[in-house]
Amino acid sequence: MNERGGYWRSLGELAGTPAFRLKLEREFAEGAVDAPGAFTRRRFLQLMGASVALAGFSGCRWPKEKIVPYAHRPEGWVPGEALRFATSGELRGCARGLLATSVDGRPIKIDGNENDPIGRGASSAIDQASVLDLYDPDRTRTPIWREGRSERSVVWGDFLAWTEDLVRDLRATRGARLAFLSEPTGSECVARLRRRLAAELPEALWFEYDPLSMDHAREGLRIAFGKPLRAHLDLASAAIVFSLDADLLDDDPAALLHARELAAARRIEEGRTNRLYVVESVPCTTGAKADHRLSLPPRAIAPFALAVLHELVFAHELEAPDRLREILRAREASDPPARAFAKALAEDLAANRGRSAIAAGYRQPPAAHAAAHLMNDLLGNIGRTVAYTADPDPERPNHFDAIRSLAKELEAGRVETLVVLGGNPAYDAPADLGFADLLARVPHAVHLSSHRNETSLLAEWQIPRAHFLESWDLSRAHDGTLLARQPLIEPLYGGRTDAELLAVFLDGRAAASGHDLAREAFGAFVSGEADFEKSWRRLLHDGVLGGSARPKVDVSFQAGPTADSLEQISHIKDHAGENGLEAVFLRDASVHDGRFANNAWLQETPDPMTKLTWDNAALVGPSTARALGVETEDVVRLSINGRAIEIAAYVLPGVAAGTIALPLGYGRTRAGRVGNGDGFDVYPLRASGAPYFAFGAAIERTGRRYPLAATEEHHLIDPRATRERERRVGSLVREVEADEYLRNPAKAMHAEEVHHPPLVSLFPPHSYDGHRWGMAIDLDACTGCNACVVACQAENNIPVVGKKQVRNQREMHWIRIDRSFRGDPDSPEIVHQPVACVHCENAPCEQVCPVAATVHTSEGLNAMVYNRCIGTRYCSNNCPYKVRRFNFFNYRKNLEPVEKMAMNPEVTVRSRGVMEKCTFCVQRIEAARIVAKNENRPLRDGEIVPACAASCPARAIVFGDLNDPESRVAKLHGEARAYGMLAELNVRPRTAYLARVRNRNERLAKREKEGHEPIHG
Amino acid sequence: MNGKWTTADGAPLFGLLAEFADVDALIEGAEKVRDAGYTKWDAHTPFPVHGLDDAMGIRHTKLSYLVFAAGVFGVFAGLGLQWWTNTVDYSLILSGKPFFALPANIPVLFEVMVLFAAAAAFVGMLAFNNLPLWYHSLFKSRRFLRATNDRFFISIEARDPKFDPRATRALLESLRGAAVEEVEE
Amino acid sequence: MSRSTAEAVPALDERIRGEPLVAGGETLASVTETVCAIVEKPRPPRAWYVAFGISAMLAGLLFAMIGYLLIEGTGVWGINVPVGWGFDITNFVFWVGIGHAGTLISAILFLFRQKWRTSINRFAEAMTIFAVLCAGLFPAIHVGRAWVEYWMFPIPNNLSMWPNFRSPLLWDVFAVSTYMIVSLLFWYMGMIPDLATLRDRARTRIRRFFYGLFSLGWRGSNRQWHRYERAYLLLAALATPLVLSVHSVVSFDFAVSQVPGWHTTIFPPYFVAGAIFGGFAMVLLLIVPSREWFGLKNLITMRHLENMTKIVLATGSMVGYAYLIEIFIAWYSGNSLERFTFMNRALGPYAWAFWTMVSCNVILPQLFWFKRFRRSIPAILLVAIGVNIGMWFERYVIIVTSLSRDFLPSSWGHFTPTWVDLCTLLGSFGLFFTLFLLFLRFLPIVAIAEVKSVMPEAKLDRDVHHGQGDYHGDIPRQHERQFGGPETNR
Repeated sequence: MNERGGYWRSLGELAGTPAFRLKLEREFAEGAVDAPGAFTRRRFLQLMGASVALAGFSGCRWPKEKIVPYAHRPEGWVPGEALRFATSGELRGCARGLLATSVDGRPIKIDGNENDPIGRGASSAIDQASVLDLYDPDRTRTPIWREGRSERSVVWGDFLAWTEDLVRDLRATRGARLAFLSEPTGSECVARLRRRLAAELPEALWFEYDPLSMDHAREGLRIAFGKPLRAHLDLASAAIVFSLDADLLDDDPAALLHARELAAARRIEEGRTNRLYVVESVPCTTGAKADHRLSLPPRAIAPFALAVLHELVFAHELEAPDRLREILRAREASDPPARAFAKALAEDLAANRGRSAIAAGYRQPPAAHAAAHLMNDLLGNIGRTVAYTADPDPERPNHFDAIRSLAKELEAGRVETLVVLGGNPAYDAPADLGFADLLARVPHAVHLSSHRNETSLLAEWQIPRAHFLESWDLSRAHDGTLLARQPLIEPLYGGRTDAELLAVFLDGRAAASGHDLAREAFGAFVSGEADFEKSWRRLLHDGVLGGSARPKVDVSFQAGPTADSLEQISHIKDHAGENGLEAVFLRDASVHDGRFANNAWLQETPDPMTKLTWDNAALVGPSTARALGVETEDVVRLSINGRAIEIAAYVLPGVAAGTIALPLGYGRTRAGRVGNGDGFDVYPLRASGAPYFAFGAAIERTGRRYPLAATEEHHLIDPRATRERERRVGSLVREVEADEYLRNPAKAMHAEEVHHPPLVSLFPPHSYDGHRWGMAIDLDACTGCNACVVACQAENNIPVVGKKQVRNQREMHWIRIDRSFRGDPDSPEIVHQPVACVHCENAPCEQVCPVAATVHTSEGLNAMVYNRCIGTRYCSNNCPYKVRRFNFFNYRKNLEPVEKMAMNPEVTVRSRGVMEKCTFCVQRIEAARIVAKNENRPLRDGEIVPACAASCPARAIVFGDLNDPESRVAKLHGEARAYGMLAELNVRPRTAYLARVRNRNERLAKREKEGHEPIHG
Repeated sequence: MNGKWTTADGAPLFGLLAEFADVDALIEGAEKVRDAGYTKWDAHTPFPVHGLDDAMGIRHTKLSYLVFAAGVFGVFAGLGLQWWTNTVDYSLILSGKPFFALPANIPVLFEVMVLFAAAAAFVGMLAFNNLPLWYHSLFKSRRFLRATNDRFFISIEARDPKFDPRATRALLESLRGAAVEEVEE
Repeated sequence: MSRSTAEAVPALDERIRGEPLVAGGETLASVTETVCAIVEKPRPPRAWYVAFGISAMLAGLLFAMIGYLLIEGTGVWGINVPVGWGFDITNFVFWVGIGHAGTLISAILFLFRQKWRTSINRFAEAMTIFAVLCAGLFPAIHVGRAWVEYWMFPIPNNLSMWPNFRSPLLWDVFAVSTYMIVSLLFWYMGMIPDLATLRDRARTRIRRFFYGLFSLGWRGSNRQWHRYERAYLLLAALATPLVLSVHSVVSFDFAVSQVPGWHTTIFPPYFVAGAIFGGFAMVLLLIVPSREWFGLKNLITMRHLENMTKIVLATGSMVGYAYLIEIFIAWYSGNSLERFTFMNRALGPYAWAFWTMVSCNVILPQLFWFKRFRRSIPAILLVAIGVNIGMWFERYVIIVTSLSRDFLPSSWGHFTPTWVDLCTLLGSFGLFFTLFLLFLRFLPIVAIAEVKSVMPEAKLDRDVHHGQGDYHGDIPRQHERQFGGPETNR
């Protein structure tokens, strides 16, 4: 089909005529959209061809888009050899520099680019999973033209033909009755074309909408400093970090950077500790990392900021303008725990002026952001731990206003042609706008979309959107750094980028290709023709244009407006209760705003907090649940001023009283075979006026139940088991108090040790000369973000098993993240612990296998010999860590050929009836060994990086040779914080965990100690 | 066998068969036949009769030694198998245990021993009894069918050096409650 | 050895005096007749047909389930991670357990000179064979890739690898297959003289051919008997430790692992006692109807049944004791994991299974303290069925509860059987009963020669030196008392 597409692509350009249309109908009307996965030998050769060209220029990509099968293996290209190329992905208008690994022309793995200012080589779960989107068999494969009811799959040429007259008219009318709806984008190509658009078609309207908009922060900064800005925290040099409902470590454009810097600033061995205070209504990864966490209902969070300001101003004499003092005078937190928290926090902040960082979450109203930055200002953090850069597009209205005004335009029928660049407004626009109906009424709507989703269905035209691995572009990172985006594969389905489509509306047939657009755009960044090629090559090789970050801007604090906004929030009652429950709309860690709903890897990744897979659910705290008489898996009818949905409930410890949290992005109807019908759509409850919080939510039980597939606490119903879990967790996930540890590390560690008889073995231990691979996982760094889980899945061809199987605890992840709660269920302490095979030296799994299918290698890896395994499952039964995974079925039976392209050829695809588990990425060990051999030198420490460690933003996972005393891993094993989980079984694990450090503020610590006696092993 | 003797109608003679109604008669008879010095003769009973072994003067079977030998062999076979396969031919590091450690090998060793010994007991028994032997002259006798039911027999074979149709017959007929018949080859 | 062992168990001898082992003035001929008639009758009783029809259907179900399993994968069962073993190994241990009474009755009672065994040992041995057959099935189908199972045997293969002799699972392979073979030999060898009897009574050519073939030309010659007895004694002597070893080895599957609730030194004796317990219950379950249908009441008397109920009571109490000790040690060891495991068994999500086990295995058999129940057919059947259920649940509790909640709470889980699990269990019973009913129809279900040897006609009161083999052992003085004359011969 694709080569057919190519064929028509050229001929279609000749024949954009009605006659041609007829011909087309006759030929392709029925079944023109090929069966998914129509993937031919020829196509494969093309892909191989791609890699030929790839090999041609090291790091850079062939300048022509047409590629041809080759007859002779070109020089310098080794079949099966992995090549890595710098490129970039994008989310929420912020690009992320990535390295894509390509084998024989198939991109198979995404990693972070060391040069990326935010990721610094790390990557998120979503980055890791993005490669699967490329091979999604549900992607739209041709442009689709809808005429009334009948849809037909056409070719790009037809679209060009259709635009011909349109473009002519637009030129005449200067773009009247033309509107664009775009997602936020950092694309320089788009920005450039927009400038042309403004010049050439001034009448055309441009709207930008993101259902998970962060514009509240933007507005908050506008209030505080008079202009929209982007704030950048430097957690590395902050002694106190205070988050007002902000998930700095996961749900933030700079999350990777934050996670890394926060961890780096907590290396207690190097005498560094910082303290993280989090005030939030729904537990998130940042809350889990907090040294002190306070659950407050959303409405109470902004007032709490004032309470802290109050303490700062009145208890710690920070000088503030009189009007602020007036506003803050009576703003003490009303309920005792909150007050105590505020006092202790203020004390810490006052004691660390210029060494603290305060941020508010994007869900919080602008005023809360203003308050947060007011604090930063009063504490003198600005310029030290907090910096600001200019907003890339200062004039644009904020997203919710934008979508509202677009709706007005449509309602008034003032838009004839609406071009929707990506996104899915029909699904995720605020419910009060009734956007889907409006869209259906637009005479000509064009939707650029990778999938035929809810929006595409209503558009006259759908143009397949290119995956970033198929695209040329230049895009800006969060801090403005310019990143290159280069394709690793020819668009599988002739997809187009935003810029390419946009160009068509300016130039019609003459529109430049993405490649040319990118080069043009790059022109602005280099001086003179002379070194253009050179720096272009350099850009493509590095993926990043050094020093292109936006300059920091000096800000001056605007007392007046801030005071006004604080006055508004100062009227909010800071305690919940009256007018019903308060609903919070959350971004979902797996599907984001719904765009990743068809990505099976993400769907099966357990949520960091709930551990739910394949579904979302209404999250309520234990006490609230008890009050409402709601239990996990109850289906409830949830109504918010008039609009109502039905959704399953999930009781999550730590959700603030009177709060109900609703993750967005589920209940898709047109996501694809994976995403359709998973979970519940909560967008219908979301109004453009209150996009994140809604008061007066009412719940009633329907009496029905809905099965949820969580990977933990399956059937953990009886209190005895819950108590036992509480009792054990202390010894499994060790914690030390920072001050105790600094006084006497050994003693601090001993506190939660399991008391056991001396560990003696019948036999002398096996000696491993040469390498002795081992791992260390720093629980104090880990944020539980799941990047490692997906990275492992991508690297090791781990199958997706689906909801039913997960529900029966048959998930296949080689590394899982155990999440446990301690203490008061309503405001628990939360800990994350990644668990993969620990490669015990006395591995219990090995001796029980009747056929010796799992054995130790000479370097002490606990190897699983797939082709020897007969599947007795005895090893799994005898594994105390339960990290072994069994192929109960052939989970790959129904894979489309195109999906198989995502497989890593270095890793065996396991058959049915075979046990599997973490291998410490043995294929990477061998690869590194080969390189070292060729250069005939010993392996260097840090040369071997397992997929999990490579992705980890916090650098929590370290792998290396325990026999080399200089290696990082050996050093970490030597630290006092290091312990072996279940070491009391004398299995001698090769993975050491580094105890988590809690740097408590003793004023609050006392309170918490009273709250619950410490758990002992 | 030797065709020295023939039956009345000239068929080669296998021997003479005497039938008894009960155990006592059988045992008395057996003692007499034994004392008469016959060697190629036997008694047939539906169930093992006690004291008959002495009455016939049967020597103790060697079966036990065979079984013992087989058992011993089994022990070494079992041990050898485990040692050679797991230690010599294909040794693997399993659970940090040594390649050869007796404790783990005891169960298999024991089972193999029992297996060999048991097989020897069964096969040995058949061999010594030279069974299976699906044809035997005695099966020609109608009466003999009751040997597995409720009658007791003594058979003296013609091969016996002391065998003499008349004398032997006389001896058998002299026995209490014996009914004698010729059995042909 | 004869005397010493004989006196070693006076208590049992005392009881044996009570009542003749063969009642109703049977003669040698009549015994032959009674037993052979069952096989020679043109058609068995209707009850047999009904039973056979049902069993055969269930057996069919079993094979359907196995087919489905092999096509789809072990996922069709309810197992998961952590609970890697569910019904499969539960059934395996259950059936192996059943398989123990047979050889035990035959061998151990033989060595202990328990004459009353003679009428029931053939049953029991047959039961053993079929039970072990069913047992062997489960390890075979429970693996993920049944088609490479032969790797578990030390056969040179394409991987040029050998099995791992450190694995208890491999010990199982050897133990169970050895047990199967030895039991088969023991059973068949005991049957040779009786097959000869059938051969000599056979009317049709086919019967004569087959019984002739399998009786190997047995002539009841005393020289043959002599070696035969010796061989039988040796087999018995070998089979006895074997019986004990097999279930010990099976228990190693658990005891040698380190799962809390499995890792227990009490398992071997506890499992053996349990096996004998369950085995005898099953023998009772089989024998009671059979003696009804085939008029064997004179050969299998109330006394036989009563003796068996006593053994059930004894072994049942041992099992109950084992349960208590386990729990005590869990507490006494101070190992918190063990403690939790046992608390969880008794009060956790599987409490229902645990208490079913206790009430069936410990409480129910206590009925047999009373003669009234020991001699009442309904009571015997009730307990027999109860014990079989209880013993199945014992294995279920041990396997599933221990696995479902082991070391890391994060990976705790729950096992719920699927319909395939249930049908497979049901089907295994079908297979077992099908085979057993065929045995009832075509083979001598009572050891004719052995029974004869304990009858008056055997004239064991003769004051002569005793034979070497002591085929059925003899204690003459007692025989006088027992078979003194017709008047004692009620």
